[in-house]
Amino acid sequence: MLEYYAERTETRSLELADGLVSQVSQSLMQGVGERELEGESTRYTYYMPQHMPEWFAPRTSTLPDNVSEEVAVLHALEALAREQDARVIKVRAVVSSTLTDVSILNTLMEQPVHDHRERHILHLHVVLEQEGRHEMGFASTVLFQPVMRSNPSAWQPLVQRALAQADHLYRAITPEGGDMPVVMTAGASGILLHEAIGHAFEADFNRQRTSIFSDRMGQQICRPHITIVDDATCPLCAGTSAYDDEGIPSQCTYLVHEGRLESYLHDRISAQHYGVRPTGNGRRQSFRHAPVPRMTNTYMLPGEATEEDIIHSVKKGIYAQSFTNGQVQIGAGDFTFFLKTGFLIEDGHLTAPIRDVNVIGNGPRALADISLVGNNLVMDSSAGYCGKAGQTVLVGQGIPTVLVDRLTVGGI
Amino acid sequence: MSMIGHRADARLLWLRNVEETLSIINRKVDKQQRSESQSLALTLYVEGREGFFYTNVFDEASLRRFVERSLAMTRLLAPDESRTLVSPERCYRGGGVPLLNCDDSLEEVPTSQKQSMALATQDEVMDRDSRIISVDSRYVDRIHQVHLLTTGGCEVSECSSRCTLSTLVSVRGEGEARPMDGWGQTRIFLRDLPTEGIGSVALERALRKVGQRPLPAGRYTMVVESPVAPTLLQPLLSAMSGYALQQHSSFLEGRLGQRVGSDLLDLLDDPHQVGTRGATYFDYDGAATHPLRLFDHGRLCTYFIDTPMGHKLGMAPTTQGTHRLIMTPSVLSLQELLCEQGECILVTDFNGGNCNPVTGHFSYGIEGFLVRDGLYVQPVCGMNITGHILDLWQSLVRVAGDHDPYETELIPSLVFEDVSFC
Repeated sequence: MLEYYAERTETRSLELADGLVSQVSQSLMQGVGERELEGESTRYTYYMPQHMPEWFAPRTSTLPDNVSEEVAVLHALEALAREQDARVIKVRAVVSSTLTDVSILNTLMEQPVHDHRERHILHLHVVLEQEGRHEMGFASTVLFQPVMRSNPSAWQPLVQRALAQADHLYRAITPEGGDMPVVMTAGASGILLHEAIGHAFEADFNRQRTSIFSDRMGQQICRPHITIVDDATCPLCAGTSAYDDEGIPSQCTYLVHEGRLESYLHDRISAQHYGVRPTGNGRRQSFRHAPVPRMTNTYMLPGEATEEDIIHSVKKGIYAQSFTNGQVQIGAGDFTFFLKTGFLIEDGHLTAPIRDVNVIGNGPRALADISLVGNNLVMDSSAGYCGKAGQTVLVGQGIPTVLVDRLTVGGI
Repeated sequence: MSMIGHRADARLLWLRNVEETLSIINRKVDKQQRSESQSLALTLYVEGREGFFYTNVFDEASLRRFVERSLAMTRLLAPDESRTLVSPERCYRGGGVPLLNCDDSLEEVPTSQKQSMALATQDEVMDRDSRIISVDSRYVDRIHQVHLLTTGGCEVSECSSRCTLSTLVSVRGEGEARPMDGWGQTRIFLRDLPTEGIGSVALERALRKVGQRPLPAGRYTMVVESPVAPTLLQPLLSAMSGYALQQHSSFLEGRLGQRVGSDLLDLLDDPHQVGTRGATYFDYDGAATHPLRLFDHGRLCTYFIDTPMGHKLGMAPTTQGTHRLIMTPSVLSLQELLCEQGECILVTDFNGGNCNPVTGHFSYGIEGFLVRDGLYVQPVCGMNITGHILDLWQSLVRVAGDHDPYETELIPSLVFEDVSFC
């Protein structure tokens, strides 16, 4: 199969620091990736023609002309942060807009397919000073429409989130480390699914038999009340698109259905290897990269427990609330995520705030150890970046509150 | 530059990359990629305003539109007097001896030759052990050229290259576990790139991980293997950035000149070593680079101050960042260090974790081995180390002399005492 992937991407980023929006970066990049597949072997090259192919059909060629609106929102974020907390000494706010048009044509298609992807991402950092001690809070959000002053519900919540995180850190302790039950909050804890099983379900690792889940297809791998999907059609989710980067229409794939491993995440190569249909998970960072199986928006369907019941069920453990980064070792199955904020749970109640600890688990074991699933599914609105094979893409994630019976929590 | 005229100060970078990647999995070609890219990075300074613009669309009409839009966009910003071109006296204007760190011939070497090298590393491993699941051997090379031009009169060029051969081996472990590890070598010149030993070392490293498990929590002596030791330096380097200091989000704020680590924390950035990776005479803002002492026997000697942060902090600019880091080594091998320690945990990889840039508190996942009197007793995984990064560097008690001179960070294996593992 011969495939052409034509892409034009415009980006613009405005940054407020020290009360001034005095930095802008803007880019315009275009190119064509050419991939030849022969069995499972890929030959890839890309070039940057001064004139894109005739079949390339961008919907629009420029970013929205709303710089003054974006500048106003950045100033409004700073003003709001300073108004809400007198301890604020520094505010840094960034709005980054990306507009990507892609057209994909291959020898299996009669016509090219076209996709238009627009994302606007807001980042807010606040530094607080209290009795000479500094703490930093951070929040981000992914938007699908240009950032406008007239839509404060899209950007105002960042202020409260960033301030709350910084404030939490003043009161937080480093917990005692060890193995313990972990209640994962709804939304941001989607990182658990992403690191514990998501990467290990990517079918390139499985066709090479290097994933710890390589021999588990069709098996019961967790309790029957657990269902996990990867859904590229999820409205207003960071990893949503009309087509994947191989031209496969986006879809919702059941990875785990009622506790049973139902599907891996496939690109065309792995789908052919396994004799199944591609799942629309062939993604790439840009025309400079060949697609590989990636997550889009990965989430767990809600269960029946209330968050309150889940917390009450734990005698001694932690409640994990916000995270910065995570990673996984595909073969061993060991995954980690860095817990930025959370709480101790003592006798069924949230007690002392905790901070800055790494949490380790083993994918199959952690999945099997999810004993309670909440009824409160939340899709995380933060900007989640996922790195694999030297490529970074935006992904979405979500989860209801869950209880993992045992994870290893870093601490003192 | 002629399109900009006298309407702005400007810095223009022309960048060209030529790259080739070959991946061989279980003796079959999995992927070949060869590409060449060029791009322009334009930084404009208009009436105290700074804008950064980037494109790969070069036809004259598009470039004119690009320049006009960039000028117009920059004018929309707030003036900020700190944002100026590097001053003429800090600019690199050429004249350094050739750095000899670019292998132009990489572009001409046929793919088949590179593929043979990757296959050779793979052949060292295949069929050597019944537990092998998969062997992934890669050859990657890259030539990077940069030409920098400013309205202040700087015009300089550099070229660098690297080529890497590596192998990743996955083996069947206990239960469902499939431990994986790898090894690789990187050189500037293809003629210097060894093919022997890479596959064998990768297999040995993968097999020795079979049976990994956590140890009881406690305080152990920690030996960090050279290839992953830079991970622990990174929080210090990030905290030395002028931007972090200016934003009051650095745990090294106010610590210049103070002792922040043990006597053995002795670190130099030397960008002028001929024939080495990381060598360069200029940063991308055009400023000339200089050898810079970062830590002198534990004392913090400098921050990374660029032109705008120099203005804002009232400090003399130093450099944008590091280029070729060199920690003063000893003459000891890793094995000699391990034998000295009695019982210790040898950390061979970090698994996630982070360090709070404001406070310096860290927590990292690790894997490695319990070692007694130099003998590897038990492969270890599923553990964290937790503490404060400056306390950790204060507890550095030994360094080896086993750093890889072909890397850009020449950090030997390190011994830290009394580290909290759980």
